[in-house]
Amino acid sequence: MNYKKILIAADASENARRAVDYVGRIVGRSPGFEITVLYVIRHAERDLFPDDKSWQARKRHEKEEALHVLRELKELLSTKGLERGTLSTDLLEITDFSIAQAIMDYQKNGGFGTIVVGRRGMSKAEEFLFGSISNKIVHYAKNCAVWIIE
Amino acid sequence: MSKEVKELVKTIRPGLSLGEYGRVYRDTSAFMKISYGDVIELKGQHYLVLRDESERSFGIEDPKYWVKRCIHLESGDRKILKLVFHEKFTLKLGDLEIPCYRSPRKEARILDLVRGDKRFMQGQSCHDAKGNVVRILDVVRGKRLDHCVFEIEKGHRDYFFQDFPRILGKFMDSCRAIGMLHEKREIHGDIRRDHLWREYKSGRYVWIDFDYAYEFEESPFGLDIFGLGNLLIYLAGKQIYTAANIERIIGERRVKLEENDFSLLYRNRIVNLRKLFPYIPQELNLVFLHFSQGAEVFYETVEEFLRELEPCLDIIIERKEGWS
Repeated sequence: MNYKKILIAADASENARRAVDYVGRIVGRSPGFEITVLYVIRHAERDLFPDDKSWQARKRHEKEEALHVLRELKELLSTKGLERGTLSTDLLEITDFSIAQAIMDYQKNGGFGTIVVGRRGMSKAEEFLFGSISNKIVHYAKNCAVWIIE
Repeated sequence: MSKEVKELVKTIRPGLSLGEYGRVYRDTSAFMKISYGDVIELKGQHYLVLRDESERSFGIEDPKYWVKRCIHLESGDRKILKLVFHEKFTLKLGDLEIPCYRSPRKEARILDLVRGDKRFMQGQSCHDAKGNVVRILDVVRGKRLDHCVFEIEKGHRDYFFQDFPRILGKFMDSCRAIGMLHEKREIHGDIRRDHLWREYKSGRYVWIDFDYAYEFEESPFGLDIFGLGNLLIYLAGKQIYTAANIERIIGERRVKLEENDFSLLYRNRIVNLRKLFPYIPQELNLVFLHFSQGAEVFYETVEEFLRELEPCLDIIIERKEGWS
């Protein structure tokens, strides 16, 4: 695995921005790094909405927000001295439950040697009830380094 | 309008007399207006409304205006009609607040999925004239399981060895039912003590009310599994134990409790029941502790939960002799 090929799992949170900022500071101006910022969307379930119209509107909003965040994060990385040619972004829309699994599949298929993910510091109870993407990646990611940025 | 209902009742169910004859509703959107003496017509079938359902919480009767107790005029059967109410509300679990949504669509889908599976309430869904998804439910003739257990007039030890093994066996089957839902990418969404009932005739345990939906980060089943754990601990203990009530329960005996002995979410509830009742097998108590403040590893699936719970049944039965 090429550890210089880095996959940053991002979302619209401040933690994701911190993770991107951290990676920029660590590897910026160093040669040979290749960075992809990945935003995985699992759209809100249709069950949460009274009708198709409001559900579709939410999905559109989620996608627009993701694209906006990806543009911003790419811009942030480019200010850290990373060349634009070494930076890419990707948006993945999934229907499966697990975002962590989607990130790990992407890492495996893309031959990334490092996964970077932000963590928002949830309580034990929250982790039990809702699960934690970063914890799942720490437990199950294989053949790569995992950076957790808190 | 009253005449229309009067005629309907006279034609379909002549023996029935009402104190008040209301009107016929084919569109159920304005469910607050629909009350005693009204008839809801769905796909040519007629449901005479008797009253709104209600829930008792904290001793107060809380009416559910969107849930109607009815008589199906064509068959004479009692039915419960759940009308569409898109509610967003906050579910409070201990200190946590979870935004929840009432989803008629989800409940209708699960009703289809569990048709014929007696571990779940039965019914069907149907669109009214305005396209609202109305759920027509069979009445579960029974009682909340927790109430049945609480009312068993025995001390804990006798209950635990004489009654709990049978209850645990049936409860595990209820857990398998939830596991089946999860395998089909569905959740119950509101596993609480008042949503598992015991049927009078068959003694079967039946899950009711699966219209809650909520958002999660990574684990879709966490809330359901936490609900199962809570129920298990209640059933094993025959009631809830808190720092405030244990003195009354265990008498003079001294028990040293620590933070980790309490529930992860309900911080005043004791889940380390073995400290109160030393005859509870360690293996079962370890399952309880997965729901405690001291837990480091959580069950992610019902299968994991059952893998540790299932062997406990035989262990309790084996120990029964030693304690009697």
